[in-house]
Amino acid sequence: MSDVAADNRGRESMHTSDELNSLRTLILAPEQNEIGELKERLDDPEIRAEELSRVIAEAIVLRAGRDRKLATALLPTIEEVIRDSVKRDPKFLADTIFPIIGPAIRRSIAESLRAMVQSMSDTLEHTFSWRGIQWRIESFRTGKSFAEIVMLHTLVYRMEQLFLIHKETGLVLQHVAAESIDLKDADMVSAMLTAIQDFVNDSFSAKEDSSLQNLNMGELTIWIEQGPRTILASVIRGNPPPELRTILKELIENIEFEYNSALDGFRGDAAPFETCRPDLLYCLTQAQKTDSRANKAVVAPARIREKKQKTGKENVVLFIYIAAALCIAIIIIGFVLSIQ
Amino acid sequence: MIQKKICMLGSFAVGKTSLVRRFVENMFSDKYMTTIGVKIEKKVIDLKAQSLTLVIWDIAGENGFHQINGSYLRGMSGYILVADKTRTGTLDTAMNIHKTVVQAFRDVPFILLMNKMDLTGQWDIQESAIDKLSQDGWDVFRTSAKTGHNVEEAFVRLSQKMLEK
Repeated sequence: MSDVAADNRGRESMHTSDELNSLRTLILAPEQNEIGELKERLDDPEIRAEELSRVIAEAIVLRAGRDRKLATALLPTIEEVIRDSVKRDPKFLADTIFPIIGPAIRRSIAESLRAMVQSMSDTLEHTFSWRGIQWRIESFRTGKSFAEIVMLHTLVYRMEQLFLIHKETGLVLQHVAAESIDLKDADMVSAMLTAIQDFVNDSFSAKEDSSLQNLNMGELTIWIEQGPRTILASVIRGNPPPELRTILKELIENIEFEYNSALDGFRGDAAPFETCRPDLLYCLTQAQKTDSRANKAVVAPARIREKKQKTGKENVVLFIYIAAALCIAIIIIGFVLSIQ
Repeated sequence: MIQKKICMLGSFAVGKTSLVRRFVENMFSDKYMTTIGVKIEKKVIDLKAQSLTLVIWDIAGENGFHQINGSYLRGMSGYILVADKTRTGTLDTAMNIHKTVVQAFRDVPFILLMNKMDLTGQWDIQESAIDKLSQDGWDVFRTSAKTGHNVEEAFVRLSQKMLEK
């Protein structure tokens, strides 16, 4: 009797289970099919590649417009590809860039000539004007070169030094400076800057995310940009434009991203950061008034401008002095001969 | 070149600045010590085949009014505790500083300098106390900033310990 009852209960249970399965299939079949399709799409590399190819161009454009991280990430691969291409067939790359070499050279020569003419024009103006004579006297009095005096008087701003500092230790990772700057020891200066920052934070109980951003001393300004693990301190003479600050912010963001692993494992060896030196040098810009009456400014890497000033201007001035001395000598000789 | 940050710690007037002055050539002005409580020095030393730049943070000593600024210790690779052989209390201060540093930074290499060894008639700290510390594994150097005795050796020893770590 009990066996029959158990058998009946088993049949009923199976019947209920079949009904539930049928009901589940009826209700959830469309969703189950969709999940199956999604799983297939995720598991199949060919389908994933096909789908990615539809949005990759838009994604690159979007990201490239947002920041420089995409360019930074792609740079090593592109450099490697170009290196391989040149190794395999140098003629191919030479043929490819051939059409742009001529215009590039012409443009470079034209730019050099333009700078030389501008330099001569500036020099003539400074030499024969009352202001120029005043600057000559100042140069004589202070012992500084005339070019230096001219630069100081016509300067809008000049980025003189950049310190890339490891935030936790205060050790200098990289330091670049414009030429003819009176340099103190970069290791000690960067540590002292870190100490001053700690001192200010502790003394005024600043919040953890706040930090010292500016130091001003007469003509000099120090801008301090903070990353999570680095500090970028820039020493600027004059009045820098606000856009420069944005450039420095982007620079420190890129360094934090690009040297992520080197910063994580930093144990006092600054060698891995040598490769960011060109980026820092690029920021050593300056702007000068092209004309004292107008307030237009030109921006160029400080090194290039300084070299032009030193070599170009001083040679022209020397030439003018010699020519003037010769003219005076000829006039005196002519005068003496006429009297006789 | 490898760079390391090291800190000079100890009670006031134990000779920290004099020891650093004995060790390095180029110095910033002492006025920084009174203004922000720290002064930075630098020395490049050669250890076997390796050059090491030591950036030395000479931190103002503790006294009744002034506590060491903990922020200055952040990121240090090693530290030097300095006590004055003629004042017992300075050894206690050095040991207290050590305890605080261990709590905050765990296992950072350090050495202890027993300074002013040239003042032989005024010694106050017992040799047995120093020997006890040596037995406990501390590297103790008896130094004199005045004569230069053991100063270079002490900095070299700390450098070795930092590189071994």
